[in-house]
Amino acid sequence: MTALSTDSPMPTETSPAQLRERKDRRRAWLLLSPGLLWMALFMVLPMCMVVYVSFWTQTTFSVNSTLTTASWERFLGSATYLHAIGTTLRVWAIVLAATLIVGYPVALYIGLFVRNKTLQTALLVACVIPFWTSFLIRVIAWRPMLGTEGAINTILMKLGLIHEPLTFLLFSEFSVLVGMTQIYCVFMVGPVTFMIGRIDPSVIEAARDLGASFGTIFRRIILPLSLPGVMVGAIFVSVMVLGEFATAASLSGRKVNLLGNIIVSQVGSLKWAFAAVAGVVLTLIITAVIALALRIVDLRKEM
Amino acid sequence: MESRILRPTLGLYAAAFLLFLYGPMIVLTILSFQGPEGGPQFPVQDWSLYWYKQLLGLSEASRVAQLPVGDSLLRSITLAFMTTVVSTVLGVMSAEAFRTRFKGSGPAFYLIILGMMVPGVLVGLGMALLSSTLGISRAWWGTSFVLHVVYTYPFAFLVMLAIFNRFDRTVEEAALSLGVSPAQTFRRVTFPIIFPGVLSAMLFSFTLSYDEFARTLFTAGRDLTLPLAIYGTFSVEIHPNIFAFGVLTTLFSFTLLVIYGLLMKRFTNRAARFAGQEDNG
Amino acid sequence: MLTVRQVSRRYGETVALEGLSLEVPADTYMSLLGASGSGKTTLLRLIAGFEEPDAGQIALDGTRLDGKPPHQRDIGFVFQNFALFPHLSVAQNVAFGLRYRAANPLTDNEEIRARSEAALELVGLKGFGHRGIGAISGGQRQRVALARTLVCEPRIVLLDEPLGALDANLRARMCDELKAIRERLGVSFLHVTGSETEALTMGDRVAVLSGGRIVQADAPERLFAEPANAQAARHLNAWNIFDAGLCAGGGAGQLGVRFDQIDISAPGQAPGAHLRLPARFLAGEFNGPTALSFFRAADGSLLQVTDHLSQPRLPDLVEGQDYDLHFAPQTARQFPGAAR
Repeated sequence: MTALSTDSPMPTETSPAQLRERKDRRRAWLLLSPGLLWMALFMVLPMCMVVYVSFWTQTTFSVNSTLTTASWERFLGSATYLHAIGTTLRVWAIVLAATLIVGYPVALYIGLFVRNKTLQTALLVACVIPFWTSFLIRVIAWRPMLGTEGAINTILMKLGLIHEPLTFLLFSEFSVLVGMTQIYCVFMVGPVTFMIGRIDPSVIEAARDLGASFGTIFRRIILPLSLPGVMVGAIFVSVMVLGEFATAASLSGRKVNLLGNIIVSQVGSLKWAFAAVAGVVLTLIITAVIALALRIVDLRKEM
Repeated sequence: MESRILRPTLGLYAAAFLLFLYGPMIVLTILSFQGPEGGPQFPVQDWSLYWYKQLLGLSEASRVAQLPVGDSLLRSITLAFMTTVVSTVLGVMSAEAFRTRFKGSGPAFYLIILGMMVPGVLVGLGMALLSSTLGISRAWWGTSFVLHVVYTYPFAFLVMLAIFNRFDRTVEEAALSLGVSPAQTFRRVTFPIIFPGVLSAMLFSFTLSYDEFARTLFTAGRDLTLPLAIYGTFSVEIHPNIFAFGVLTTLFSFTLLVIYGLLMKRFTNRAARFAGQEDNG
Repeated sequence: MLTVRQVSRRYGETVALEGLSLEVPADTYMSLLGASGSGKTTLLRLIAGFEEPDAGQIALDGTRLDGKPPHQRDIGFVFQNFALFPHLSVAQNVAFGLRYRAANPLTDNEEIRARSEAALELVGLKGFGHRGIGAISGGQRQRVALARTLVCEPRIVLLDEPLGALDANLRARMCDELKAIRERLGVSFLHVTGSETEALTMGDRVAVLSGGRIVQADAPERLFAEPANAQAARHLNAWNIFDAGLCAGGGAGQLGVRFDQIDISAPGQAPGAHLRLPARFLAGEFNGPTALSFFRAADGSLLQVTDHLSQPRLPDLVEGQDYDLHFAPQTARQFPGAAR
């Protein structure tokens, strides 16, 4: 914060208050401009480029800037790619539901039932620690867990519960769903715990004194107050799952093709225009999801 | 009371959750001690440190190619460091700007936040298209670096915003009323008070950038960063050396975390000696 | 001398100050009395330069202050919450201004140390310099805040409810000390408060802020005895203000009569020379050396009468009964305008 003293000669009709306000506003924009410029150049511009290139002409190994809708027609006319949109949406919906089901009770426990601050912090830290392992390592760690000679099959066989290894565990949509749920559920637990932890215990105490059952308290107090946390968590999880490709690439054995995987494979075979089309479709889906979520919750207030 | 049943049930659920969270890493750690003849699965043939040695290039000719981690590790750390510095500076500046109310702050806020929302594969693709159109060659220290900042700057910004929300403006006004210039006030009062927040923003940026690969995938050019090197092994058969590598990088990350913790503790200790007036004022 | 002339400040639709004028003479302890939300703090912030007025001028010894950034105004500010630097020790807090100010900062550590030490001694905190801000009490923090401001020798010191965060005992003691310190330094203090007792005790002059302007500025004795208008009288918490029409022969406008200058008698028993005002006794309140009695007049306005226990002058009162309140005409003050 440097002194941005820009004492311009003072026109007599503007009051000192207006001058000060103008100066403060100029200072705010000056401080903000490098960041906004960075975002405009390195985020907005590339995104515009994706839209632009999706209308370029694709030849076998290159693109040229003759505008055409050929890539779009091919994309929308192909059952494989429409299927990929379906898969992306299905995986997103299931993982979102799974993170909520897995995460919410945990958040409830940490935020409401653990009243010891140290233990609360310790549990939250325990949830975050896995993040200090590389994302890709965490994904690949599911292979020895779920494989035919992996931990789960080995244990089940030892226990005599099964005689043949379960093959659906790995290289299937199931493994992708499990992997994503494990990796992303913390993004649900965090915001929800935060919102539940903010509930004044005396409110719940008072409700209990008035004879409300836990069910009623949950429905009337805890659930509504934790909802912004759920929405923030849902935004995080949605954005990350929709843009995913690594988990599917690593755990599905190429059986699950998300839009992300399509982009990666198209880029790999230098089909830039085609990758761009998939990118635009993905952008539209994510925009729709975020817009929906933002209608329910004002992100700026919750942060 | 229902909570007599509810509490232990939820406790058990939370314990199961932690097992779910840690299970794969535990299995991975166990298998990293696999013998030289063993594969990336059970059973463990015989316990050894073979794959760790193989990873570090200490074993003689091996049936498995060594992971290309040496240079890429260095690149990743450099990249993360560059990203941390730039995104923290940008984050602090932007959050400071948001302390004054001004027109257009809403759209500006969402433009910044968008950086953490846009999927990496999309901006990566966009940047790759842009650089090839403009004829700029792609490199981890150029095209990848700017995208990493796009991603981590919003996080740093949010952390600093939260810090400034709790910041007591009157201490700055006190400094000004003593005749201290705004610049000096920031340096001598504001910055020392928000420093723990800055440290958190830096930690956030570093970890995110160090582990980022969706944004790097299309933009890094020829030289690979660490996550890219790991990603490269996905398509081929995996060996326990990846597991050993996973354990080592986790340990490395923890070292980083401990350093952060120590710095933080040292700072809060100093702050505790002069404890904030707001707690018992 | 600090001169505030025709200063206005609005926040959107709300008007905080409206054409306010005020003079703080040199070497004066000036109290500024105002209810909460009356714009007292706004006025101080305008003078200090944390905010700027929408209209009007602020000048110190003839030099315009408005438009100048706060750090070039040379005005001390003691905050209600003290606003000490939490990351610095007591001595570092006090030395802060000397060391880092933009205009001729001190570089000689020995001089800085000596002057901070002297300032701490002035506020009675000798030897506390090495302590942390968290390791001292509320009253001591108040003194550190004061020392930190005074050591820079500002041309005027603004105090924003400086005693508000202290307990009653400490407040009384700080009152005396503030006064003594100011007299030693000969610098003007402008002390903002919501408490009429504090304002009257501390000030060589007391200004009353109401409705965004100064309604009266006077010596405390005169203000208390002869408030110039109903608004000023109301802030003193010692005056009944009622419609003059309630008294037979009271004239027009409003009358103000001090709580302690009203006598009570049974209906029709009041001395003929006195003005009379029929009212119903509501309740009594005993609070130590004085007793308060509350009455409701015919038009619904509430009236208070105080009685000093050492010189009781009131009859025994029965709740719900009507009485005549009466007072000598010369004790009443006539204010223009209708009640409220």
